[in-house]
Amino acid sequence: MNLATYARANLFRRRGRAILTVMAVTVAVLIFCLIRTAVVAWNAGADEAATDRLSTRHKVSITMSLPKRYIDEIRQVPDVKAATWASWFGAKDPKERIPFFAGFAVDHESWFDVLDEMKVPADQLATWKQTPDGAILGDLLARNLGVKVGDRLVITSDIYPGDWPLTVVGIYTPLRKTADRNTLVFRWDHVNNDPRAVYSRDKIGWMVSRITDSVHSADISRKIDAKFEEHDDQTLTMSERAFQLSFLGGFTAVLGAFDLVSLVILLIMTLILANTIAMSVRERTHEYGVLRAIGFPPGHILGFILGEALLIALVGGLVGVALVIGVINHGLGPFMEENMTGFFPYFRAPASVLLLALGASVGLGVVAGAIPAVLASRLKVTDALRRVD
Amino acid sequence: MSETSQMSETSTTSDKAGHPVRGQSRSIVKLSGIAKTFYRGSEPIQVLDGLDLDVPDGSFEALMGPSGSGKSTLLNIIAGLDRPTGGTVIVADADLTRMSDGQLAKWRSQTIGFVFQSFNLIPVLTAAQNVELPLLLTSLSRSQRAKHVATAMRIVGLEDRMHHYPRQLSGGQEQRVAIARAIVNDPKIIVADEPTGDLDRKSADDVLTLMERLNKEMNKTIFMVTHDPAAAERAGVRRKLDKGALQ
Repeated sequence: MNLATYARANLFRRRGRAILTVMAVTVAVLIFCLIRTAVVAWNAGADEAATDRLSTRHKVSITMSLPKRYIDEIRQVPDVKAATWASWFGAKDPKERIPFFAGFAVDHESWFDVLDEMKVPADQLATWKQTPDGAILGDLLARNLGVKVGDRLVITSDIYPGDWPLTVVGIYTPLRKTADRNTLVFRWDHVNNDPRAVYSRDKIGWMVSRITDSVHSADISRKIDAKFEEHDDQTLTMSERAFQLSFLGGFTAVLGAFDLVSLVILLIMTLILANTIAMSVRERTHEYGVLRAIGFPPGHILGFILGEALLIALVGGLVGVALVIGVINHGLGPFMEENMTGFFPYFRAPASVLLLALGASVGLGVVAGAIPAVLASRLKVTDALRRVD
Repeated sequence: MSETSQMSETSTTSDKAGHPVRGQSRSIVKLSGIAKTFYRGSEPIQVLDGLDLDVPDGSFEALMGPSGSGKSTLLNIIAGLDRPTGGTVIVADADLTRMSDGQLAKWRSQTIGFVFQSFNLIPVLTAAQNVELPLLLTSLSRSQRAKHVATAMRIVGLEDRMHHYPRQLSGGQEQRVAIARAIVNDPKIIVADEPTGDLDRKSADDVLTLMERLNKEMNKTIFMVTHDPAAAERAGVRRKLDKGALQ
C-alpha cells in the first residue's frame, strides 16, 4: 500500500456516480474532439497549402473574371517559375448521384504542372492534351459517379446552359492526404470555344503561380499586382493559404462559433467534475479529519483530493480519446471523406487534437478538484472530526 | 514494532488498580492554566478555565463528566488537535503551544495514538491497510511496515482479519483494528474518546481489557474520555470534569 492506494480506492467508492462522471468526461472529450476535428479538417486544405504558390484573383471579388492575357504577363514576372489558370464552372451531375463537387475549366497544358499534389498518369495526361472535351476526375469522384477512363460523362452548370458532354480521359490521385479527391477538371479552351460561353470569352477566374522563393512571396505578390495596377481589371495576389481561407468566407464565423462551443463543452465538463469532487469531499470530511488527526499534513489531503479528480478526468479522457479513435477516425471520418470530400477531404482527429483533449481533461480535472481540495485541507481537524454526513 | 520493543526497561510502580506508574515524579502530560473559549456568534463560551493537569507517564486515566463539560476539548488539547486560548501544554516533553500546525501534525503522528468512539476506519481500505496508514508517514520500507502491521494486528488478536474490510467486521473488531492503528507507530500516549460508546457490553469489555494490556504490558499512557462508569472503573485514575474545571 502507498498513498496512491487511498486515492485509487476512493475513485470508485460511489461506483454509480464515478461511472457517470467518467462518462460525462468521455462524452465531453468526444464532442470536443469532434468539433476540433471538424475545424481542423475544414482548415486542412489551407493549412497544408503550398507555400511556394500564389493565387491571383480580381481585386474586387473572386466572382469577377480577369482577361486571359494576364497569364502571359504573370509569367513574365521575375521569380515566377510557372503559372496556370482556372475558371469556376459550377458543375452539376444531372443524375444527382452526388450533391456537390468542384468543377473547373483549366489550362490543360499547365494545370497539373503547377498543382503537382495531384498525380495523373503520363499517358492519360498526354491523351487529355489531345482531347478537347477530355476531363480528369479525382479518384473518389470517379468512383461515386461510376465512371472510368474512356467513359462519357455529361455535366450541367449553374452558369452555362445545357448539357456538357465530356470524355473521361484520366483519373488523378492525391499525393497529399488533404488534397480534394472530388474535383472535376476539363479544358478551359473547350468552354471558351463554345458559343454558350460568349459572355465569358477569353476570361479566366483566377491564376495560380509557382514562385522560386516562398520567403519572398509577399514581395512577389506586390510585384504581380503592381503589373496590373494601371489596368481596368486590377488584381489581388495572395498566398495559396489566404486564397483558400477567403473561399471559406462566412464559414469563418461558423468556425469561430464551433471554437466557442468546444470551450463551453470543456467548461461544462469541469463543472460536472467539480460537483462530483465537491460531493465526495463533503461526504468524507470526517474521514479527512481522522487522517489529519493521525498526522497526515494538509498537503496530503490536498493530494488525495486532487489525485482523485485527476484520476477521474484521466480515465474519462483516455476512454474519450479511445472512442474518438474508434468512432471518428475509423467510422465517421471515412464516411465524411467519402460523402463530403468537398468540405472534408481528410476528416480524422489528428494527434494534436487528441493530446489537447487529454491534456484539457486532466488539467481541468485538477482545476475542478482545486477548490474542494484547498477547502478540505484547510479545515480545522476538530471541525472536520465533528462533521458527519 | 515488536511487542517486546514496546516494553519499557525502566522500573515501574503500580497504582491501586495495579496499573504501572513509571517515575511518579515525571509527568507525560502537564497542563498549566489552560483556558479555552469558543464563540457562538459574538458570545464567548468559556469551556475550560485555568485548568491544571498532570498525567504521570504510564498511567491509565479516565476522564468523566456531563455533556458539555469540556472533556473532548481537553482531550483535543492534550492530543494536539486543538489549541488553548490560554495556558501551556507540555506533552511528552514538547510544548504544543509553540508548535506550528505542520509541526503538530508530525508530532501527533509520532507521539499520539487515537481511538475514536465510532472507530473511524477508512471503509475502502482493508483492516491491514487501515493499520498501515500512520506508517505511510514514516520512512519505513514496505516490508518493515508489513511487519509492524502484523504485530499490531496480533496484539489486538485480529491477525486472521488482516484483509477484511471494515464492513466485514463486528463493531468490537472494528474498534480493535482502530486500536491496532493507534499503536502501530509505537506512540507514547493513546487518547481515547468514548472508545466503548458504540459497543455492546461484551465488546466493550474486550476493548477495555485490550487497553489495560497496552497500559500494563507495554507501558502506554492512556487518557480516556468516557461516560461509561464501568469503563472508567478499569482505569487506574478517574477524574471528573465539570464546568471547565477538574473536581
